[in-house]
Amino acid sequence: MLVIRRRAGESFLIGEDVEIEILEMSTSQVKLGIRAPREISVLRKEVFLTREQNRAAARSSSPDVLERLRSNILTPAR
Amino acid sequence: MPRVSTRLFGDLDFPSEAIIEFPAGLKAFEDHRQFVFLDPAGCAPLVCLQSLSAAALCFLALPVRAVEPDYELLLSGEDLELLGPGDHLGLALLTAAGQRTTANLLAPVVINPATRRAVQSVRPDTRYSHVHPVVSQEASCL
Repeated sequence: MLVIRRRAGESFLIGEDVEIEILEMSTSQVKLGIRAPREISVLRKEVFLTREQNRAAARSSSPDVLERLRSNILTPAR
Repeated sequence: MPRVSTRLFGDLDFPSEAIIEFPAGLKAFEDHRQFVFLDPAGCAPLVCLQSLSAAALCFLALPVRAVEPDYELLLSGEDLELLGPGDHLGLALLTAAGQRTTANLLAPVVINPATRRAVQSVRPDTRYSHVHPVVSQEASCL
């Protein structure tokens, strides 16, 4: 991982088309400005992961999987 | 009764009350705004969310507390506004990867039963994973 230090107001570039600027900093959060072409998607990581996981979940739903889960998943206390 | 084509159960009749509205769809499936909540007999606590727009799109899910008994929902302000106040139900979407099953506890589907609206709410903290292992009954007996 490349690590760089920036102060508020400074920026860095990824390739020639993406610029990240540090807008504001506080003890708990940093506010970033992102300049990128429209065709490059910019997503918070957890949103990116959720999109990928939703696609995987959709692909893996099948009658076989339902049957396997039904017999293996913890059921409410007897 | 309305009818839906489902990937897992063929054609099903369902009561209109079983329709859940997703104003923002699901992440990566934003165009799917209506799902039917199915809880097939003998499968509890497993449930299915079947899209009304596409027979092939169906998610298997577990209530978040069936995966993690101490789970507490944590919704952003925007999601709370979209859902409205009420007794929210959290569902974790399941993915089967080989013999392992994981639940997305990072971004549960949150349903407001009173309004029948739902949103997939990405947690604003790092407490839970999008691939939380689901324990099988066999493993828990070892």
